Amino acid sequence: MGEKAEIIIGDHLLIPCSRMSTLSNKTGSWRFLRPRYDEKTAPCSAACPAGEDIAMVEMLTTQGSFKEAWDTILRENPFPAVCGRVCFHPCEGRCNRGEFDEAIAIHGIERFLADTAARNEFKSSLEKRPPRKEKIAIVGAGPSGLAAAYFLTMLGYACDVFEAMPEAGGVLRWGIPEYRLPVSVLRSEIARIEAMGVRIYTGKAVSSDFLSKAQDEYHAVFMGCGHSRSRKLAIPGEDLEGLEEGISFLNAIRRGETASVHETVAVIGGGNTAVDVARSIVRLGGKAIIVYRRRREDMPAFDDEITMALEEGVEIRELLAPVRIDGTGESYTLTVRAMRVAGTDSDGRAAIEPAGEESEEIVVQKIFKAIGEEAAEEWYRPGERGGQQLTLSNSILVRQPDGVVVAYGGDLTNDVKSVVHAVASGKEAAMALDILFRKGLDAIKTELSAYVVGSGPSLSMEIYMAGPRCERNHHVVAYNEINIDYFHLSPRITQPRLLIDERKKTFGEIDLKISANLAIRETERCFNCGLCNQCDNCYLFCPDIAVCHDESKQGRHINYDYCKGCGLCVVECPRNAMILEEEGQ
Amino acid sequence: MKRVVEGSQAVAEAVRLARVGVISAYPITPQTHIVEFLSEYCANGSLNARFMRVESEHSALAALIGTVSTGVRAFTATSGQGLALMHELLHWTSGARLPMVMAEVNRALAPGWNIWVDQTDSLAQRDTGWIQLYCENGQEVLDTILQAYRLGELVNLPVMVVLDAFFLSHTYEPVDVPDQELVDSFLPSYVPKFQLDPKDPCAFGSLVTPNVYMEMRHSIALAMDDALGCFSYVEDEFEKIFGRRYGSVEAIHCEDAEIILVTTGTVTSTSRQVVNELRAKGEKVGLMKLKLFRPFPVHDVRMTLMPAKKVAVIDRNFSFGSGGIFAQEIRAALCNAPGHPPIYGYIAGIGGRDVTTDVIKEIYRKTKNSDIPEAESVWMGLQEV
Repeated sequence: MGEKAEIIIGDHLLIPCSRMSTLSNKTGSWRFLRPRYDEKTAPCSAACPAGEDIAMVEMLTTQGSFKEAWDTILRENPFPAVCGRVCFHPCEGRCNRGEFDEAIAIHGIERFLADTAARNEFKSSLEKRPPRKEKIAIVGAGPSGLAAAYFLTMLGYACDVFEAMPEAGGVLRWGIPEYRLPVSVLRSEIARIEAMGVRIYTGKAVSSDFLSKAQDEYHAVFMGCGHSRSRKLAIPGEDLEGLEEGISFLNAIRRGETASVHETVAVIGGGNTAVDVARSIVRLGGKAIIVYRRRREDMPAFDDEITMALEEGVEIRELLAPVRIDGTGESYTLTVRAMRVAGTDSDGRAAIEPAGEESEEIVVQKIFKAIGEEAAEEWYRPGERGGQQLTLSNSILVRQPDGVVVAYGGDLTNDVKSVVHAVASGKEAAMALDILFRKGLDAIKTELSAYVVGSGPSLSMEIYMAGPRCERNHHVVAYNEINIDYFHLSPRITQPRLLIDERKKTFGEIDLKISANLAIRETERCFNCGLCNQCDNCYLFCPDIAVCHDESKQGRHINYDYCKGCGLCVVECPRNAMILEEEGQ
Repeated sequence: MKRVVEGSQAVAEAVRLARVGVISAYPITPQTHIVEFLSEYCANGSLNARFMRVESEHSALAALIGTVSTGVRAFTATSGQGLALMHELLHWTSGARLPMVMAEVNRALAPGWNIWVDQTDSLAQRDTGWIQLYCENGQEVLDTILQAYRLGELVNLPVMVVLDAFFLSHTYEPVDVPDQELVDSFLPSYVPKFQLDPKDPCAFGSLVTPNVYMEMRHSIALAMDDALGCFSYVEDEFEKIFGRRYGSVEAIHCEDAEIILVTTGTVTSTSRQVVNELRAKGEKVGLMKLKLFRPFPVHDVRMTLMPAKKVAVIDRNFSFGSGGIFAQEIRAALCNAPGHPPIYGYIAGIGGRDVTTDVIKEIYRKTKNSDIPEAESVWMGLQEV
């Protein structure tokens, strides 16, 4: 071995003792497999339409780095306080932990971080690109318009936002009820966006010729004016006096104009507006019956909202299609026909057909229509004026015949009408416009595909701005790639809520705050799929002491002089943040 | 102070008095009480030691090998299957010349599962380089543990103190538990002859080529030889302080005996009574209790047994294809002594069966009535099956 054994000699005591360093034996020469650190994509972040770096957010929260966790959300979404309350959290549905015991309460953690940021008056530290000469006009200060303004400002563009209503926020301000989203929360998020330099002009409705005139002052327009007009039922009696539109009713409540309701009220529809209206009626003292054509499980409203509506005493009558409405200002008779499921329709929902000739009459004192909304003006819709059209995942870009580029987003383009999809629109449009100005319209689609989270379509602004996240492997970590030996079963936190009896009496926020203690305990459950959380298993398990601590961001590196490629580190990595590859690949 | 304690507690008391620094063990019946007592001592502070819970006996001994390499006095205990699982590391301990003490509670090996006394487990480890001391009662257990530390640390070899399952481990007897100061005067702190030290980094147990391995093994053989003399020295020192000594062998009425019974463990106590009864009837019978088995006290055995006409060895163990293990060893010790008496081998008490006075008397009668041994090993009390 080129090494002379030293020997300890005593009275009949002869044993081998080596004082020569084993460093002379470069075991790395045995290696044919090479481990390396390779951070990957967590399924939650790929499922988030805003592409939030959720696994990183949870990891930072566990470490008590609340400010950094909040900043991490803000890189991808300007509305953590809003989304922490009203988002339907598709992330949790894809959480790998859900296959182990229960998904991480990502939604609750987002809200906790936003509340913590507000209480401690954190100032966000976001990277911002140098100013650009182009100016963008944004129509509508709802979630998509504000998100577009936010991300465009990050990218160096000056943005003017035009809002018809007296206050910014769109559906967040005028549609979603106070018990889901207190106005103070919304105002503080909007104030933060304004503080970045976004100018919001409220009470400034924009007319149809704006899209042409804008080019004098602006280089592009973002249309995010949403859906604010109720769809028609197209049944006799629909236009009787006293019938109200659900969206207008919610709007009136948020303006503070509604008196108490003591009657039984029918709400026609199955979307979030219908559920919000029904729950508001309960709070105002009335009894609400939701009448829906399909089944409860087909309702487009978010499941949590439906569950809470039922808890609060809202009645849901399913498989009933309104046929006609009769009545006076005092009482209305809603004639409905029983329906049954007959296969699946083109968008994957249950198709329905009349179950027979029979009809039923539901007598109520008031009826609200809430079968969905549409754009209030024809010219809000993309393509109405012709021109070259580029359809993206959550937005549509149109180069009008007059040369003005208009990006459409939010409810105007999205299949799922949610806040987080609106944020996704604003982000996508911001990136698309930036690429347009730098490289032209034709480059947009190819360029954008480089900034997706996992396999898309969610986009990451951090990746776009070449932040540390762009080193992340796009592979989405699957449950069977987690080493579950390192995790033990532990229950998910229960979101504390107002008691049902309290909920029925007040528009006060239902979901209560969670403590930092609970939040940390919850985020400790997170697998941190694909991310290194410095657990040091690789270091502990390496039989060759080839994992060495250092000052790098990774905190450690592999000394390939001695790593013999056994792969123990990769197997023992609880969260698939390493990879083993064949040498020479 | 005299206290009525269980054999297992006698072990634990001795370990406490020896001021052991680390205990690493895995529970197995009938050893369990020993480690239970010790874990309590560690928990209540009466013993300032690190108690390591490990996942197997193999790990228990591996952990102690590391521990003792750092120069700490250490203890473990096991039984039967547990000892068998330690086998590889038993060799390692002696090869690495690490003094430590193990209490080995003799238990029959499976299958079929049997938790009762049988010496085959410890005797199967006779070639692993461990000193082996067999005990007869609670007092001897306590005293032998203390002697074992002194002896092992003198010659840098590990020591196994062996006691019978239940008959000794779970029997309550009056035992003199000495004061700590007295024990300290007999057993000073452990001063290792070599140890791992971060200030002077080195590695033990590295590759050894044929040109020196043999010498290393020879040094173990020499150390084992030293252990014979050292045991006597340790007993001298022990006797000065505590007034008790046991001897590598104990000869009872052997001076004029025509037939000498050879026993180990608790069968010795029963045999003492038989010998007294037979002597009262005028029978010229003696008894040799074997305490030190490794190193084997050839000289003491010869001195005791050579004058006899016949030697009857009672083995609570068996080496399949050969015979009772103590009988083999006695034969080997005597065979080069011209005119040695014939050795009668008897197998009794296997798997915890009682070895009663009647069984021992029958052994004596058989030995007396046959001019030559009827077989290498005669199984006593076999039932029709």
